[in-house]
Amino acid sequence: MGLISLAAAKTLASSAAFLFITVLLMAAAKRTATCIALFSAQCAIITAQILATAYLHRSGEGYLVAVLVFAVKVVGIPYALLRVVRGLKTAGEVDTSTTPAQSVYITAALIPLAFVVVKPYVRALAVDGQLLAAAVALVLSGAFLMVSRKKALMQVIGLVVLENGIFVAAITTTSGMPLVIEIGIFFDLLIGVLLMGVFVFRIRDTFEHVDVSKLRRLRG
Amino acid sequence: MTLWFSLLIPLLGAFAVLACRQPRAAVRAALGIGALEVLTLGRAVWAIRAEGVLQSGRYLRADGLTAFFLINIGLIFTLVLAYSVGYLRHIPHGRFSSARWFFALVFLLLFTMLGVYLSANLGMMWIAVETTTLASALLVGFYNTEGAVEAGWKYLILCTVGIAFALFGTITLYLAAIRSGMPADNALDWAALMNWAPQMSGARELLKLAFVFVAVGYGTKIGFVPMHSWLPDAHAEAPSPVSALLSAVLLNCALYALLRIDAITARAIGSGFSHTLLLALGTLSVVVAAFLMVVQNDLKRLLAYSSIEHMGIVAIGVGLGGSLGLYGALLHTFNHSLAKTLLFFTAGHVRERFGTLRMDQIRGMVRSLPWTSVALIIGSLAVVGMPPFGLFVSEFVILTAAFTQAHYVLAILLLAAISVVFGAMLQHFQGMLCGEPPPMGARAKALFTDVAAMTACAACLLVLGLRIPVVFTNLLHGAMAVLQ
Amino acid sequence: MTYALNVLQLMLLLAAAPLVRGVVACLKARIQNRRGASVWRPYAELRKLFAKEDLVPPTASPVFRFSPVVLFAATVAAAAFIPVLNGSALLGATGDFIMLAYLLALGRFFLILGAMDGGSSFGGMGASREALVSTLAEAPLLLGLTAVAITARTATIAGIVRWTLAQQVFHLSAVHALALAALALVAIAETGRVPVDNPATHLELTMIHEAMVLEYSGPSLALIEWAGAIKLSAMMALLIALFVPWGIPVSLSAVGLGIALTTFVLKMAALAVSLAVLESSVAKLRMYLVPDFLGMACVLSILAVIFTALMR
Repeated sequence: MGLISLAAAKTLASSAAFLFITVLLMAAAKRTATCIALFSAQCAIITAQILATAYLHRSGEGYLVAVLVFAVKVVGIPYALLRVVRGLKTAGEVDTSTTPAQSVYITAALIPLAFVVVKPYVRALAVDGQLLAAAVALVLSGAFLMVSRKKALMQVIGLVVLENGIFVAAITTTSGMPLVIEIGIFFDLLIGVLLMGVFVFRIRDTFEHVDVSKLRRLRG
Repeated sequence: MTLWFSLLIPLLGAFAVLACRQPRAAVRAALGIGALEVLTLGRAVWAIRAEGVLQSGRYLRADGLTAFFLINIGLIFTLVLAYSVGYLRHIPHGRFSSARWFFALVFLLLFTMLGVYLSANLGMMWIAVETTTLASALLVGFYNTEGAVEAGWKYLILCTVGIAFALFGTITLYLAAIRSGMPADNALDWAALMNWAPQMSGARELLKLAFVFVAVGYGTKIGFVPMHSWLPDAHAEAPSPVSALLSAVLLNCALYALLRIDAITARAIGSGFSHTLLLALGTLSVVVAAFLMVVQNDLKRLLAYSSIEHMGIVAIGVGLGGSLGLYGALLHTFNHSLAKTLLFFTAGHVRERFGTLRMDQIRGMVRSLPWTSVALIIGSLAVVGMPPFGLFVSEFVILTAAFTQAHYVLAILLLAAISVVFGAMLQHFQGMLCGEPPPMGARAKALFTDVAAMTACAACLLVLGLRIPVVFTNLLHGAMAVLQ
Repeated sequence: MTYALNVLQLMLLLAAAPLVRGVVACLKARIQNRRGASVWRPYAELRKLFAKEDLVPPTASPVFRFSPVVLFAATVAAAAFIPVLNGSALLGATGDFIMLAYLLALGRFFLILGAMDGGSSFGGMGASREALVSTLAEAPLLLGLTAVAITARTATIAGIVRWTLAQQVFHLSAVHALALAALALVAIAETGRVPVDNPATHLELTMIHEAMVLEYSGPSLALIEWAGAIKLSAMMALLIALFVPWGIPVSLSAVGLGIALTTFVLKMAALAVSLAVLESSVAKLRMYLVPDFLGMACVLSILAVIFTALMR
């Protein structure tokens, strides 16, 4: 069992690194399907982190939360998003208002910014500074994705990455919220994503495109 | 038990209405379920008045503040149901835009809003607020036109992002509670947090951070100014009864959540920081909304900006605090819902008659829609804060609070903004009411339900402006006692 | 004894270099559903070229004749810094990773000079493109190596290898992940593979490296080809040594050497497979996008250096 606890400790220590890598890769991605796969990988890393914490703290609830995260975020939401992508039948590229390189530059600048933002709270809260910084970096890069991507579905992906960041911040600082609340939050998120998928189809049917930068009719 | 019933009736009612194939059967079912629900809410308020606090299990709780807002939602919901019966005659029939879907979605929205009001646990409250966004998004995009879909999308995305920040704030609050020693399984329960709050005074920075995120998050849903850009679109493109429901009830719902968390913060670290933030957000909202109202061209967008302005006034009232400020703020939420409902009902009639909501194309309402014009005049006088109506009283109380606490600059800004609003509305409505109406067909017969709904609104506004009934004042004082 | 071992590992890199190229080409062919040439073809090509005559353009200066020699010498010297079979290399000094980067740059500089000296317009075009690519690739190379060196608290490549061997296997840090990503991108640019440059192209306007060597023939061309192959296997061996050196024995023994050789072959095979898959699945970038590609590598390596401070 020593090997498993070693593996758990190392998973915890390196999950922040993996999260930063997925953030950078998502900024450079050129296709929507790639972004969805990267989001799924991100949630898989978070599941591994929850499993490692649950093993090290011997909490049964943690395993349940890990299963839930896997079912909803690794399988459920990416599957729903992929179905929308396939159903839209438009080209699968990510229309960006910045080139992939510029997106990577901005996202790479956001990562040290996340560390700076987190610094005053790390000592006060006595938590792993890297994971908290990874959470803030996820939030910032999710917001950046929402702002710089022109396709409606990419805004949804940016939104779920942002919520991912908040979730990672929650599990890093607290040892988990009450189970009922966690279940409620996950299913809320799932229904929200499904509803946004319905809306993307409506946008496509009404406007004949899914480019949100062209939705500028209502202004002032 | 009453609490469970008041939640279950709209939920099951939504499915029941969906099951009715015939539109007339759906309308009748909706009216029946609505009546049942309003009776249950009345019973709940009566029970709260008798017992003080109703608790059902760990997650449902209703106290004085809940009772006040339940009266608000019950009244507005009745009026909206009554008005919808007539309004539905004019909805173009599509696969998803039929009467039964309308009522089903409205009942779902009611279910989620009641979930916010009745939840004892801050986590459940957050889930319920998020669900109100989801439930109302389909209502905003109900007409499936370009504007409606764009407004629905903007609403969905912006409010979900905002509410995600509110989640972060709630988690930070939970963290502060646990770090100061509170047992974890109770640390999201509002009553337990209020009891524990004095012992959280050590976690100043965390609580300030939590409040900032909650103010930004729930403030997005309330419509405070930097985060308001979804509000004019959503309230303008939705069907008129839904706009009334959104402006009158949903904004109050989000405000309720903010009030609950503000109470905890105030008890823990004092209200200096949180109330300053609320004053800033409120003043910004009032000033920006007032100036934007001058340049509006669409009637319902004008009314939406008016909602932003009034929510700003409420925020100023809460931020001033004390017995005067809070009294004025709570009274203002009630009065504003009545006035805004009346105005959106008139907007619905205008749209029906003139075919458009563009104020430069609407002329001569006095001649073509006489009774609606009367309602419009009453509503507009009420909403700018003119004396015989309720909003004058609540705004006066808030201004008194401002002068008492020596916030002179704030009071002057508020008065100036209200004057700008008065001028803007006068100019727009005068253009619409006077002159020769464009050539149109015969007027549709006014339904009894419409007339009854609008008269009820005007009557309540008048009563609250002339002499607030003692029962109501007691209710208000009960609500304030909960927060202090 | 260590000295003989280091000479042996240098010989191994030199001798196996054309084989690595052949394996990658064969794998690419199989992935693209062709049969492809045999894996020993680069050796046959080198033998053929060494036997041929060396034709020199009449307008060329002596630079044209000795730049292939300088390129080959510099590349061999660079390869001598990399530990393969044990925890040290033939050449090693404090700060030798900077020396490695600049030896590669020296070779490239003379290749550029020779290409321009050949007098053809394609040579000049290839030279200017190569100058752009190598200028942009230099910063991420040095920064990536610096980040790894700071983490290992030594300044020699052999020292980095010894430090990494002393860590536990699961010890992956963000610094290493980012530095690996940056150095992998730089390796692709330095060795002229897809997506930066297609080594198998026949269209002169898309060439970078090939355009520079259009004028060369005979033994000069053989030296250039061999130097290119050595550069590829040296970069691959460098990535293996810096990031996944497990298998290299700390103490010398026959069994340890056998294990080291086997693991080295396996790791090179894995890298060759991934390179072949990458080359078959990604399209070559247009020239104006290559600075973006290298800019990303630069940003990743800067982030790696920043992380050495943040992770403390």
